[in-house]
This record gives sequence, C-alpha cells and structure tokens, in this order.
Amino acid sequence: MFVRNVAGTPGPPITIAKKPKYRAAWSRAGRLADQTWSFIAMATEESGDAKAEPALSSSTNRSQKASEKPDYALKFTLVGHTEAVSSVKFSPNGEWLASSSADKVIIIWGAYDGKYEKTLYGHNQEISDIDWSSDSSCLVSASDDKTLKIWDVRSGKCLKTLKGHSNYVFCCNFNPLSNLIISGSFDESVKIWEVKTGKCLKTLSAHSDPVSAVHFNCNGSLIVSGSYDGVCRIWDAASGQCLKALVDEDNPPVSFVKFSPNGKYILIGTLDNTLKLWDYSRGRCLKTYTGHKNEKYCIFANFSVTGGKWIVSGSEDNLVYIWNLQTKEIVQKLQGHTDVVISAACHPTENIIASAALGNDKTIKLWMSNY
Amino acid sequence: MAHRGAERDFQTSARRMGTSLLFQLSVHERELDLVFLDHSYAKPWSAHPDASSARPTRTLFVTPRRQHESTIESDVPIDVETVTSTPVPLYDNQKARSVMNECERHVIFARTDADAPPPPEDWEEHVNRTGWTVAQNKLFNKTLKALQSDRLARLANEGACNEPVLRRVAVDKCARRVRQALASVSWDTKLTQWLHTTLVETLSLPMLAAYLDALQTLKGKIPTLIDRMLVSSNTKTGAAGAEALSLLLKRPWDPAVGVLSHNKPSKLPGSPLILVASSGPSSSVFPTSRRHRFWQSQLSCLGKVIPVATHLLSSGSGVGVLQCLEHMIGAVRSKVLEIHSHFPHKPVILIGWNTGALVACHVSVMEYVTAAVCLGFPLLTVDGPRGDVDDPLLDMKTPVLFVIGQNSLQCHPEAMEDFREKIRAENSLVVVGGADDNLRISKAKKKSEGLTQSMVDRCIQDEIVDFLTGVLTRSEGHVGTEPRDQDAEKKKKARDMARRDLAFEVPERGSRPASPAARLPASPSGSEDLSSVSSSPTSSPKTKVTTVASAQKSSQVGSAQLLKRHVQRTEAVLTHKQAQVPVSAEHVEEAEKEDLRAQLKRQQPPSPLPGSKAPKRPKIKVALVAQGDPAGGPSQGGAPEAAGGRPVTMTLGQASAGAKELTGLLTTSKPSASEGGVSTGPAPSVVPSSAAPSGLHTLQNRLVATSPGSSLPGGPPSAVRPLDCVQGEVEGAASASSLLQGLSFSLQDISSKTSGLPANPSPGPAPQATSVKLPTPMQSLGAITTGTSTLVRTIPVATTLSSLGAGPGGKPTAIHQLLTNGGLAKLAGSLPGLAQISNQASGLKVPTTITLTLRGQPSRITTLSPMGTGAGLCEEPTSQALPSSSQRLPPAP
Repeated sequence: MFVRNVAGTPGPPITIAKKPKYRAAWSRAGRLADQTWSFIAMATEESGDAKAEPALSSSTNRSQKASEKPDYALKFTLVGHTEAVSSVKFSPNGEWLASSSADKVIIIWGAYDGKYEKTLYGHNQEISDIDWSSDSSCLVSASDDKTLKIWDVRSGKCLKTLKGHSNYVFCCNFNPLSNLIISGSFDESVKIWEVKTGKCLKTLSAHSDPVSAVHFNCNGSLIVSGSYDGVCRIWDAASGQCLKALVDEDNPPVSFVKFSPNGKYILIGTLDNTLKLWDYSRGRCLKTYTGHKNEKYCIFANFSVTGGKWIVSGSEDNLVYIWNLQTKEIVQKLQGHTDVVISAACHPTENIIASAALGNDKTIKLWMSNY
Repeated sequence: MAHRGAERDFQTSARRMGTSLLFQLSVHERELDLVFLDHSYAKPWSAHPDASSARPTRTLFVTPRRQHESTIESDVPIDVETVTSTPVPLYDNQKARSVMNECERHVIFARTDADAPPPPEDWEEHVNRTGWTVAQNKLFNKTLKALQSDRLARLANEGACNEPVLRRVAVDKCARRVRQALASVSWDTKLTQWLHTTLVETLSLPMLAAYLDALQTLKGKIPTLIDRMLVSSNTKTGAAGAEALSLLLKRPWDPAVGVLSHNKPSKLPGSPLILVASSGPSSSVFPTSRRHRFWQSQLSCLGKVIPVATHLLSSGSGVGVLQCLEHMIGAVRSKVLEIHSHFPHKPVILIGWNTGALVACHVSVMEYVTAAVCLGFPLLTVDGPRGDVDDPLLDMKTPVLFVIGQNSLQCHPEAMEDFREKIRAENSLVVVGGADDNLRISKAKKKSEGLTQSMVDRCIQDEIVDFLTGVLTRSEGHVGTEPRDQDAEKKKKARDMARRDLAFEVPERGSRPASPAARLPASPSGSEDLSSVSSSPTSSPKTKVTTVASAQKSSQVGSAQLLKRHVQRTEAVLTHKQAQVPVSAEHVEEAEKEDLRAQLKRQQPPSPLPGSKAPKRPKIKVALVAQGDPAGGPSQGGAPEAAGGRPVTMTLGQASAGAKELTGLLTTSKPSASEGGVSTGPAPSVVPSSAAPSGLHTLQNRLVATSPGSSLPGGPPSAVRPLDCVQGEVEGAASASSLLQGLSFSLQDISSKTSGLPANPSPGPAPQATSVKLPTPMQSLGAITTGTSTLVRTIPVATTLSSLGAGPGGKPTAIHQLLTNGGLAKLAGSLPGLAQISNQASGLKVPTTITLTLRGQPSRITTLSPMGTGAGLCEEPTSQALPSSSQRLPPAP
C-alpha cells in the first residue's frame, strides 16, 4: 500500500467545449479537476472472492476444456488516477502495467500484484494513449498537448518530446524493434518518428477524420491505422505507401484497430457496437463479435492468447466482454466497473486482464483466470 | 530426339535440384521435375499436343497463383498466433549485411575534417540557412526529404530477414530521388557542388551514410556528373579523403555478392562463339549499361562473346527505321558468315535483347547458326502478334530459346505459346516471373522474394546454359559424323591431353604444326574476325577487356580450349619467359594497388558486377594458377605455347583495369592536367607523341611475341629466329595489320584512360624503348604511386600488356582500323625515328619493317628470361590469396 499526496497546483479548469473527445469523458473529468487533488493510489485486494479457484487446473485439463469458458475473477482494484483512465498496457516483459489518464500522468503498477510503482509527470494536457517499447524500458505517451513523450521508465524521466502534430495526439505505438514510433492525431495525420533523434521521418496524411488507432504488425513492416472516416489503411512502414484500404459497407467510424499477434489479421472496432476480424490480405471480414455496447468511445480491444483464444474488449455498459475467437460467442462478462470500460489489456504470458474505466470510476481492475 | 530430350531433362533436373543454389529460390515447377525423376518417359503436363517442337514452358520466379478458397466460413479455425516463417535468403546474408553497411562504416571518409565532432542528432536545427538562395533551399530540402525517407526505410527494415535486399531497394529509391532533385537544378555544377559540401558538413553520421549510399549508387549510373559534383570537396579535403571517397563510391554494393562469383556458369561444350546482336544502333554517347556489361561478362563464362554493334553514320539522322534494321541484320549476318569462314566447325550462337532478339531470329533464318537465344522477345507489334502465315520467322529451323518477362508489354506468355506452336524449329520458353520487357523484376518482387536483379539474371543464364548445352551436345554428336570435323575431334583429343598434362603433350604439339600449312591463312583471318569484336568504337575497350578477361576464365577446361585455338591457328608460340614478363609487371602493379587499397582500409569483396575491378581480379588470380603448370617446364618447346597465351590475355584485363584505377585515383587529384595530357580522341591519328613510343614498344613486343609461333611453332623458345618468323607471320598481311590495330586500340585505350595525366615527353626514342628491357617498365610501374611525373612511363607497359594480350592470347582483339586508316603512318610520323617504319608499313611491305624492328630481339629475350622464371616462381602464392600479393613483388631480374 502506498499513499501519495499529489502535490502541485490544480491545473486551470479544463474547458469543456473542446472538440468532442471520443475515448474519455473529459467533460466529467474536467468537473473533477476543480475538486481536491489529494487521493490515494492503491490496490485493494478483493478478499473472499467466491470465484477463487483451486490452483490445480492442470494443463491437461486446459486442453480438454478447449470450448470452455474462462473464469476471470477480480483480483485487484488499482486506485490512483484522479480522473478518467484512458489506457492501460502491460509491459512486454510482463512485469509492469502502465496506465495513462486525463489527470496528465502515467502511473506504473506491478502487473501481478497491482503495486504502485511510480508516476511519470510531464505532459500538460490529458494523455490519451501509451505504449511500451519491446524491451520494456521505455514508454511513449500521446497527449492532448499535441506532443508525444518518450519516457525512461526506470528513471521516470522524459527522454524526448516529439513535436509536430497540430492537434491532440490520440494514439501511439512502438514498432517491434522500437526504433520507430507511430502516432495518430486529431489533425488527421499519422506520423512516423525516429526514436533515437525524436525527428518525424514521415507524415502519412490519408485520413479525413481524426485517427483513432495505429498499430505495427509483428515484424514492423506494416502499419495499420483506423480513423473516424470509417477507413482502415495499411501502410508499408518502410516507404510510407498506402498498400490497402479496408472499408466496411456502411462505413461506421473506426474506433480501434490492431494486428493479430502473427500479423495475419486485423481486429477492427467500429462505433456500431461491433468488432470485426479481417483477413486484410484478402480484404474480407472473417468474424464479427457483437453484444457489447460501443457507440461513443474509442474502446481498446485485445487478443487474449495466453489461455484460450479470446477477444477481450471494454464496453460502454461498464462491463468487460470476452468472446471466443473462433465461435464468436460471449464467454464471459466481467462486472465491477462503475463507468465505461475504456481499455482492456491482456498480460503477455499470464491469464491476467487489466481494465480501466472512465471518470465515474477512475480505477483499474486486474482480473485473473485459471483458464 | 524427344527421348533424348526427356533424358536430358531428367539429368538437368537432377543436377540442378542437387547443385544449383539459385535454383532453390526460383519457384520452379519442382513437382514436374520430381515426376521426371521417377518417370522419365512421361510427357510433361504442359506439353502441347500439337506442337512437338515446342518444349514445355519453364518458369523462373513465377509465384504460383494462390488458389482462392471459395468460402472461409466461421468453422475454419483462425490462427492468430503462429507466425509463418520467412524463407532464408539465398545470398550469403552475413556478407550481404557487411557490404550493406559499407558506407556506414566508412562514413568518416567523407567528412572534411575527421577531427571535428560529428554533428549532433538535432543537426537540422543547427543548419545555418542564412544567405541561401531559393534554389539552394529547394535543392537542400528535396535532398533532405529523400534522405529522410531512406532513413525511415532503414529503420523499418532493420532486422528483417531479407534486410540487404530491402535496403538495396530503398537505397535505389533514395538515389533516384536525389538524382531527381539534382536534375531539377539541371545538374548545375555550382549548386551540386555546394550541396555536396553542405551535406557533408551538416548531416549527422547516419544521414551522411545514407547520402553516401545514394552517391555510390548514382556514381554507377552517372559517373561523370557525380565526379563533377565531388570535385570541389576533393580539392578541399585533400587527397586521402578524396581517394577514400572515390574508392567507396566506386561501385554500388549488391546483396548477392559472393553467391554469383562463387557459382560461375560453366563453359558450354564445343566452345561455341556467342554473337550478341545489338538491339539498336549503338551510340558512344550512351555507354552500355552496367547490367549489359554484367551480362556480357557472364556470357563470356559460357563461351567467347562477340558483340555485333551497328553504327549509323552522322548519328543516324536521315536513316529510316527499315534501313537501320536492314543494316543491323546485315551486320550480324556478315559476322556470322565471317565466323563460319574462319571457324568452320565452331558452333555459333546468336543472342539478342528485344529487337536484337528479332534480328537474331531473322539472321538464323538466313544463315546457319547452331542456336538462337531471344531475351525479352518482342512478340507484339503494332499490327498484332507475330506469327502470321507470311512471317519469315515461322521458317526458322534453328533451335531457339525465348526468355520473356511475365509482365512484359511486348509479349504475353499465352500469345507466345501460340507463336511457338507455329514455329517448326525446336524451341523453348522461359517465363521470368514479374519481369518486364528487359527481364527486370519489379521492386515489389525483389522485396517479397528477397531477390536481386543479378540473381535473376544469373538464373536466366542458367536456363540459357541448360538449353544451349542440350542443343550443343546434340549438334556436336551430329556434326561429329561429318568428315570435316575430324579435325575438331582430333583437337578435342589434344585438348583432353592437355587437360591431363600439358607437358606430355609436347611431342604431339611439335609434330602438329609441321603439316598443316593450310591452317596458316586461318590465323590472320581468325584474328581479324575476332578482332572485330571491337571494330566498333562503342564496344569500348573496357567492355572488350572484360570479355577477354572473363572469356579466359581459367578453369582447366578454359585453358584447354584456349590451347586448342592456338594449335588451330598455328601462331603465337610465345616463349614462356616472354609470356611471363607482363605477368610479373602486373604483379608489381597489383601490389601497388594492393598497397593503395590497404592504405584506404577498404575491403574489396568480389563482386559479380562488371565494370568493376573486382570480378577481374579473381579471374586473373585463377589464371595464374593455370599458368603454374607450364612454368615448371619452361625449356620444353610445346608447353610454353599454352603458357604464352593465357597469362598474357589475363594481363590485358589486368593492365587496363590497373590503368583505370590509376586514372581513377589520379584524375581526382590532378584534374587540370587533362588538357595537357594525352588526347582522348578515338582516331588513331590523334594519338599524341607521348603515347607513341609506347606504341612502338608494343609493336615490337608484339612482333617478338607472335613471330616465333608462325614459322617455327614447334621450335624451342631459345631457337627464336626473328627474321624467319616475321616472314612467316606476315605472309598473311592481315595478321600484321591486326597487330597494328591492336596497338592502335591499346593506344586509344591508354590514351583515353590516361587523359588525366600530364603530358610528359616520351622517355627517349623508340628503339631505345625496345632495348629498355624489362626493368624500366617495372620501375615505372613501381613508381605509379610515388609520383605523377613518372606516370607516363606506365603507359608503355600497359600498352605492351594489352596489345600482347590482344595477339597471342588467342584473343587478337586487334582491329583493322589502324592500318586502313593509315593510323600507323600518322602515329609513326609523329615520331621521327619511326618514320621509315611507317612508310613501309603503309606500303604494306611489312616484312622489312618488322625485320628492322626485330633486330634488338635476341638480346632482349635473354634479358627477359630470368625475369620470366622469377615471375613464374612467384605464381603459386598469387593464386592463393590476392590481398597478400603486395608482399609478392617479383624478384628483380
């Protein structure tokens, strides 16, 4: 347990009439900003959890239960952010969980015990997205102050500030070698940055609305970007040429895109309560996952491959949804948050899900499963 | 025949599946091959039922079309985790990566002062743009943008499995954009020089490396413009940096380095002559492309390559297309006839690109050739595809191989099949996947399959070899029954013998030349026709050199073939010792070069590309090995014959390569000397006096070299009787003339190459040059690096070497022009001491002329002999490792 009084003056009241934000309900957060700034960053362990399973779910058991459902149960609730959380990400080495928030800070937590580690200060506007470098030593954050910052996690220092976007930076991603960063912005462009020098090497401007998500594939040769204009574009990372554009029939705004772990498929979230799995090389949709609610926010979704093969996503009905990747059935809904679950992340090696909610809740919850 | 073909298919497929490394990459019809392995009687699935002469199409790098599964329904399990493994690149990845990073490693060379700290990463903010003009700003920004995208590509491709190929593609692209930027200012010298200086000063090291990579690439394409661009920095930087830079930029790196040089195509059976039909009138303004030179050198591994160039007078104005075409066909045709008359039993193969392919086909209808190879055959015309009833091509009876690009605009694989059905001649088709009219594969293909153009070219050559081997072995067996070829058979035997042991062959050789006086005429004419390789100004000496050098690829087979040619022509019995002379000289030069190289700490990996020095070097290296045998028994009469031919030929390549290198190094430091230097004009008449003595020298050397062989071929080397020999030799006046042409060419060669050298008066009158004996050239060679003033002296040596090589090396590249132009007269006229010679020469009273020249000979030979043995002794190490040759200076005479 760690108690920290956040010193510093409250920032100027956040104007509510800014351009509509899609990921977090900043208006609500803005109201909170006028209130007291002292809070407790902590993780509360859920005791007496009825669902705690005996530790004896063997691997043989698992393979038999191929069609069975996961049993994610709430283990920890991480309290610390003073405003809506916008993104949570596990570090690739599995040790840490980073969360970004509308309170302009990034907090690093222990991935297994939810222990508070440190806070990274530096942005002077809300942070919308973060991403880890492959060696888990660096973080990149995308902020409404139109910059990205590269952080050294160990020292907590900001290494570089990437300036160039002309509007809120909304999403960011390291490439697998972590020598490049891509960022998507409300200025409707995607920029590619060199990590070492902090220079923008290329600006891809092919979207006609804010860019909601960017992602490198597993070998870093391709970039996918999704935008509110309803188009998903696939780019050649080396040349910056657009290789493909995926458009759904009725063209709903794209709120999220992500390559599958092997880079063969793309998971696309759209603001019509739908997640779709595309085979982009053939340009066809293979799977559609529905049942959750997603019409307003850019909600993160994820492939969970540590146990069964699931798709995990937050939802605007305050739940975390888990689908079976193959059968598209909802296999579990995780209840506990009191506001829109904006982000759900999957641990790289363990069956752990981290979920984060918006301003009514402001907490991060860690869920674990034996399967 | 069909059966035989099938058998051959079986064999080749077995062989190739086992051995050819490159073959593995090409997505070949491997299943087909497997079927053949088990059922050699089976008809290939793609065999056309009606066209028995059309052999099944082969494909290279054609990606099999993925069969679209009609339905992907939800029940098909989706694997989101497993990463499909990428194929291992075919080239030597480690080596490729090392050459790839060459520029990065040597980036410091480019810096004007290496001591200054490198610009910081945020160098961009520090660039002081005050005082820049609009044009300067524009140019700088454009270049910067190109370099930035190159940087992005580098970072994005980092660690990829086929990174070298990806990098190569990216660098090519960057080079293209830089070139565009420079072209946008019309290559304004001031601006480009300014840009170069500014970039070198301001760019951060990684960016500078990218810039150098781009420069390196461009240097290969537009050397003059780049040289002009670099001049300013060179003068500022001082010699060392400039030299280093020029070495670094000398030739673009290739990911496939090593693979190609390690897997050379093997010689074709029957030592065919390969006639390359040009695809259009050549022009000296546009030199042959790097790729064509590469092709030429690769083809010359298969057999002797003879490019046939067509020239239009008055730069082609007023000449109709039809006329031009007729001209081209006529040129090839007459060449074929010429070859037939000189080498009645040599198979002739016609090869052509695009229009040249058509020309080859048409000629093959009119004249007898063994096979035709059509690269990038233009099937489609404005009037539709070829192959109408009245198309003369349908009457072709010559076996023909078509190689077309899958994406060719002038040809379509299916239309090609239709066409092939109608041809009566046995024909084969190779489709190169993703290639265009010129069989160049696309960038996407390179990227996705990790290929380079050189690898593809090499695979195409494998296909050509395959086809030609089949045709040649068949025709060989066929022709062998004819009486006239018994001769050839005998020679073949002799060749086999030679292969076993050159020394053992002596008696046979000795007896041989005694009888066939009839062969004597063949000799001059033979040399003449071969000489016409370069009868066109466009087929530059450089190309020629490449051809020669590589044609003599010195596997044992190669040497044996060469030998055969010698015997046949009954000429050029060069004493072994004489033969060694140039070699030893070359050693020195070699050593010098090595020194230079070592100085600059630049590794010179062997490269498959032509025009660069590297490919020649390995060849030379091997040549020396081959030469080692005869060196053992210099006293035997016959053996030196072989030795005489081979090493000299090698030196030709080496010498001019050396000269090139020299100039490369020297022009940069002494750019202003060119006006005073030797004129570069192609006409022999303008060969300036400074070069003249060397010419004489050559002449004399040449005479010494050739004379013994013609009259007393079997005689021991010590029994050289100049006078008689000369008589014999000159009986065919053409021989002498070819000799003189050789001289003229080497003069041109040298003069053009040494244009950057100061014009020193020649060191002494001509006769003296003869009696100078060996040490002088050697010294001058040794002095190459020490001072520019001695440079002129190197000219004679180089000339000697090349013209020697032109003669007895079985490759008298010499040309009739000199004599016919009266070039010699002018040449000699410029040297008073030579006037008499020239007079006589122009009057074609050659015998006397030569007698005169040869007076000094006997003594010369004796002087040379220790030298020769010395050189012979130090041959073995040469063969082992080139880099070490710097320690191997030949012992002083």
